Amino acid sequence: MGEDQSRSVSQVSVPALDRIATRRQVWARVSEKYGVTNPAPPWKSSLDGMCDALDTNGDALPALERRREEDLLSEEVYSALPAPERQLIALAHSLVARGVIEEDALARRMQAVRTRLEAA
Amino acid sequence: MAQTDEPHETAHDDLHPHAPMVEEITDFEVLEIAVRELAIEKGLFTADDHRRFTEFAEEIGPTAGARLVARAWLDPEFKRLALEDAIAASREVGVDWLEPTGFGTPSDFTALQVLEDTPKLHHVVVCTLCSCYPRPILGNSPEWYRTPNYRRRIVRWPRQVLGEFGLHVPEDVEIRVEDSNQKHRFMVLPVRPAGTDGWSEDDLAEIVTRDCMIGVALPKPGVTTNAVTAVRPAIRPAEHQ
Repeated sequence: MGEDQSRSVSQVSVPALDRIATRRQVWARVSEKYGVTNPAPPWKSSLDGMCDALDTNGDALPALERRREEDLLSEEVYSALPAPERQLIALAHSLVARGVIEEDALARRMQAVRTRLEAA
Repeated sequence: MAQTDEPHETAHDDLHPHAPMVEEITDFEVLEIAVRELAIEKGLFTADDHRRFTEFAEEIGPTAGARLVARAWLDPEFKRLALEDAIAASREVGVDWLEPTGFGTPSDFTALQVLEDTPKLHHVVVCTLCSCYPRPILGNSPEWYRTPNYRRRIVRWPRQVLGEFGLHVPEDVEIRVEDSNQKHRFMVLPVRPAGTDGWSEDDLAEIVTRDCMIGVALPKPGVTTNAVTAVRPAIRPAEHQ
C-alpha cells in the first residue's frame, strides 16, 4: 500500500472501532477512577511488542506505513483519544483497512476475549 | 475486615494490602488481545516473537544513556570513544546495539552517533518521518516525540519549540537539529553543568535525564526528572512525504 492508499485509510469506516472510540474507556479515566497511579496501561508494552513483531515479520503492515497511517488516523479519525489508545486503535484500523484482519472477525474476537476475561 | 473461611488469606491481606487495581475490563485491553491473537493466527508473527519483543520493551530505559554521558564527562578517553564509535561506547555501559535483545530488533540495528554540545552549539534530535529513536540506550520515546506537532515544528522553529520545553537557548548559541532515520540514530552529549565538580559517575548520571539526551533540556544539579510536557496535535498536520 503506497502513500495514496495510506491516505485513504482514514476514509475506511470500521464501526467496531468507532464504538470503542465513542465509549472512550481510556486509561487516564479508569486509572483515576480506581486510584491507580501507573501512567501507562498494562497492555502498553504488549502493544509495543506487537508493533516490533509486525515490523520484523513481514509485509502485512510495513513500519513506515504503520506510522504514517497512525499519524493520519490520529488526526482525522481518533483525535479525541489520547495515546497510547489511539496508537492501538490506529493499528487495528490499518489492519482492517488493508484486509489483513476482517472487521467481523475482529468484532467476534473482541466479544470472545471479553467473555473470557469476565469469566476469570 | 469481613469474616472468611480462609484465615491464612486474611492474615496475608492484613500484612500486604493490595495496591489499587483497575477492576473493570476496558475495551482497549480487549482490543489489544484480540488484534494480537488474530495476528498470530494469521501468521503475521509468532507468540514467541511477541513475548520477546514485549520483554525488550519492558526492559529498556534511559539509564545506560545517562551512564554513557556521565562517563564521557569524567573520562576523556571514553568520551573520544563515544564520539568516534558510539556503538562500542554503548557496549561499555551494557548495551549491545548489534543484538539489543539478544535476537535483534526490527528497527534498532542501526548506527548511533553521539552529538557533542559545546557552549556555542546545542543539538536536538527528532525523527521527522516517523518516530525513530535510540531505544536500546534511551528506552521508549516519550509520547510528544511521536507527535507531528514536535516532528514538524522542531525543524522549522527549534528555538521556539525548545522554549516550549522551558529551554531558552541564547541567540549566540547555534542549534543543530538532527533528523533520525531507520539507519541512523542520535543522542546528545550535553555540556557538563557548573556546580558538579568532584561528583561521582553515579551522581552525574542522576542529572542526565532522557530529555537532556534528546536535547530538549539541559542537565542541572538537583534536577533528575523530565519536564512534564502537554501533548497536543499540530495545528496543521504534518505533510506525510
